[in-house]
Amino acid sequence: MERRSFLASLGSAALASQVPLRAQEGPAAASGRITLLHTNDTHSRIEPFGPGNGAISGLGGVSRRATLVRQLRQQLGPVLLLDAGDTFQGTPYFNRYKGRLDYQLMRMMGYDAGTLGNHDFDNGVGMLVEAMEAMEQLQHANAPFAFLNCNFDCKGAPALQKRIRPYLVKDFPGVRVGLTGIGVAFAGLVAPKNHEGISWRDPYESLKPIVKRLREVEKVDLVVVLSHLGYNLNGTGPDDLHLPGQVAGIDAVIGGHSHTFLETPTRVPQALGETLVFQVGFGGVNLGRMDFAVARGQVRAASGAAMPVLA
Amino acid sequence: MFKPSSALLCALLTLSLAAQAPTGKAQVLPLGPTIPDDPAFQKVIDPLAAEIKASFDLPLVQAPQGLLRGRRGEENLLGYWVADVMRTAAQGIVGKPVRFAITNAGGLRSNLRPGLLKVADIFEMMPFENELVVVELTGAEVIQVVKEGIVRRGGEPCSGVKARVDGSPEQPVIVLTWEDGSAIDPAETVRVATTDYLYGGGDSIPTLRKGRKPFTTGITLRQMLLDQCAALAKAKQELLPPALGRYTLPVPILEAIRDKKLKL
Repeated sequence: MERRSFLASLGSAALASQVPLRAQEGPAAASGRITLLHTNDTHSRIEPFGPGNGAISGLGGVSRRATLVRQLRQQLGPVLLLDAGDTFQGTPYFNRYKGRLDYQLMRMMGYDAGTLGNHDFDNGVGMLVEAMEAMEQLQHANAPFAFLNCNFDCKGAPALQKRIRPYLVKDFPGVRVGLTGIGVAFAGLVAPKNHEGISWRDPYESLKPIVKRLREVEKVDLVVVLSHLGYNLNGTGPDDLHLPGQVAGIDAVIGGHSHTFLETPTRVPQALGETLVFQVGFGGVNLGRMDFAVARGQVRAASGAAMPVLA
Repeated sequence: MFKPSSALLCALLTLSLAAQAPTGKAQVLPLGPTIPDDPAFQKVIDPLAAEIKASFDLPLVQAPQGLLRGRRGEENLLGYWVADVMRTAAQGIVGKPVRFAITNAGGLRSNLRPGLLKVADIFEMMPFENELVVVELTGAEVIQVVKEGIVRRGGEPCSGVKARVDGSPEQPVIVLTWEDGSAIDPAETVRVATTDYLYGGGDSIPTLRKGRKPFTTGITLRQMLLDQCAALAKAKQELLPPALGRYTLPVPILEAIRDKKLKL
């Protein structure tokens, strides 16, 4: 807990000191910075974990996360708020509100994009789409956030297909960011009736043309993948740790599914440099943070840390 | 077709960022050791939390020992209880004997801690909308289902049989009987209670998909568990864990399962 307090109080200062604090202004800026704030596997944890949950007792809670995000936005330059899937399932809030509340609160918090995890299909495609619609229809100053995935073939589920984008490009002073998402195989995780009309494709092969397009056509400076594959499957299936070796040109993997608690991102070498692979547990216990400084299309500095959402 | 450079889309997607306060000069505001709730969020969440609390805080039944899933290598008494409730409920619904029930440990998301159980505890333990399904399998298929569960996770929670694995990890010998110790006739057709999730191919027990004459009850497992708790409370009884002894697996076998080296 002492370490957590230390990180919470000093984390932003320590991290911010490693990269330029301000992006260069103007359309012709050749360098800039971006901070990625992220969650994964929040599993309808609207309230903090109660007592009796061991080391995570008292941690988390959407309302506190909102405060932390707001504080960080006040301190930092450009920020993207992202999620790696499995927003649904885990508390009575999901049973009662069917994911609508989760997505609406994410929009209120200013999430920019998320991806889909296996549990987001727990009530079937129809209910997933209803939760997305409820989020879109919310009267709020923040825009609806995007759902990103490039390895689900949704041709048989048009209502979902029109809500999922293969990628998204966001421009900030001196930094052009490309975002995409990938999901875990349905087999053994999602009942066939709950992913009717959607088929799963190999995530590595699905990512290759997307990353190529982001790099060569969209000319982004930074490629970020929201992944619900899991951190390390020890060779039994595609995972985040092996992704950079299979698909070059990715700068950051924001992972989920395996509920892996990492204090800092894992740096994985790849053909075009290195990839930061990160995942921050589950249930909104932590908010992940990665900072990238970019100059002339190259990542010059990158760092990150998990920030506990403390009581 | 999605156009990421669309001006309208970019404008929409950057609304929240455009609204943020300018950063000014390099300045880092220290975060406090604690993080207060955001009032705008609490205003939304508080009434919903009260609504949840009103229905989910209702007391159900006393469980003085709790019902625990057990750690790796330990028997899953919570799972045994769930499987027992499934088998009993299935018999009541189809009006005929149901010899075997199986669910998946991965679907039981939390322990039931000792004390007074509340509705929320059952929801948290069984959040899924999985429904009870009754199918017909041969005795040989029941044996194969149990084997698949052992190989995958050291035995999925079941009701109606007892399994023991003897021998070495290289040459395991499985001894499988009905719960009363009688032999399972491979050719006999029996009724089996399971979930629509497992019957549909979830959690890799492929032989369950061979189930014939499926009867989808339309009743969720959670509702059955809630009803069972209510029935116990009405009868002034406590919820107690079932007896141990449905799976007997020596340590070398458990280690081989962990290392994915056991074949049955």
